[in-house]
Amino acid sequence: MEPELAKRLVDGLKEAGISFVSYLPETRLSQIVPLLRADSSFMVVSVANESEAVSISAGASLAGRPAAVYFEGSGVYVSSYNLLVLGKRLGVPMLLIVAYYGSIRDKRNSFLYAFPGIHLIPILESLQIQYEVFENGECLEDKMKGAVKMMHAIKQPVALLFTGEFTI
Amino acid sequence: MKRFECFEFLAPMITSQLVVGSLSGQRVEWGHICKHEGNLLVAAMGAALGVAVGLSLVLPHRKVIALESDGSLLLSLYNLPTLGNLNPGNLVVLVFDNEVYSGTRISEPSATAGKTDLAGVARSCGIERATTVRDLQSFKRETTQALNENALSFIVCKVDQTTGHREVQRPTEDLWEHKYRFVRYLEKTEGKPIFLGRG
Repeated sequence: MEPELAKRLVDGLKEAGISFVSYLPETRLSQIVPLLRADSSFMVVSVANESEAVSISAGASLAGRPAAVYFEGSGVYVSSYNLLVLGKRLGVPMLLIVAYYGSIRDKRNSFLYAFPGIHLIPILESLQIQYEVFENGECLEDKMKGAVKMMHAIKQPVALLFTGEFTI
Repeated sequence: MKRFECFEFLAPMITSQLVVGSLSGQRVEWGHICKHEGNLLVAAMGAALGVAVGLSLVLPHRKVIALESDGSLLLSLYNLPTLGNLNPGNLVVLVFDNEVYSGTRISEPSATAGKTDLAGVARSCGIERATTVRDLQSFKRETTQALNENALSFIVCKVDQTTGHREVQRPTEDLWEHKYRFVRYLEKTEGKPIFLGRG
């Protein structure tokens, strides 16, 4: 991802009101991590497992810090139980920032990523998690604000899937 | 030592602390003994400790208590390295370890019935104040100290396998209602809005 796009993504999170991010680092969007850490308006927590990231961000959200979770698409599989019992059943708003690996517009796609990638959206749909796919920076900030507004409105997770220009 | 006796000791000590619980009989027993608005019983295995960590980080001035069980913690051991590194001084973790998956009704032994020492695992993950208590007197001493000090505490409470929770009335409050009660309590006591958005 170009540095400018990474900056817009992080600035967009801030403008949308996100102030807590838990994450398990991955390849495609990793440029956002130092930017998040450099901005004191974010509380940033690295974890060992995506399920844990969902649980910690759920706690932060319920404590009054609008929270996001950042991980690779595989993290949705790993954390699906926590998304279900905390995000859906308990009803906790959180924003999922997902590197949409293995998608058609993933510039790093390969046989390693394609098979998990094609199942990501069906998994989100089975969990009835609202999502938006981003291929470039067009309307990035507006859509992120809309996603955060949505997560507060329905008090559930909302997912942003980043592919295309975000996966360079 | 019975878990119910531990809860009977702990409940009167709850004032402004936040209590996050997991699943199993402990949810039923704690919900029966303590009706505090600061209870957040997430009713899921492997999720309570993470939620408690998130609460403790955002509200460092509030004491947060995580009620865990051996089965639930074994399902989510990935929390311990993160917890050891974050080291939130306002978090007390109580793991009620009866060494079985009692909810299965077949008393299937958990790993702690064998060689696994959860306090030892916690210590190796960097949680310095991790200990095991095996009697009520030790439980009272350790929890009193943990609640009164500003240091991360991890207390494994070896308890009997009991079925008392099956005789206790189960909560009728559903999870969304429970969550709203908790959040409104936090909004009131913290003086800030938590759920955002306009109607």
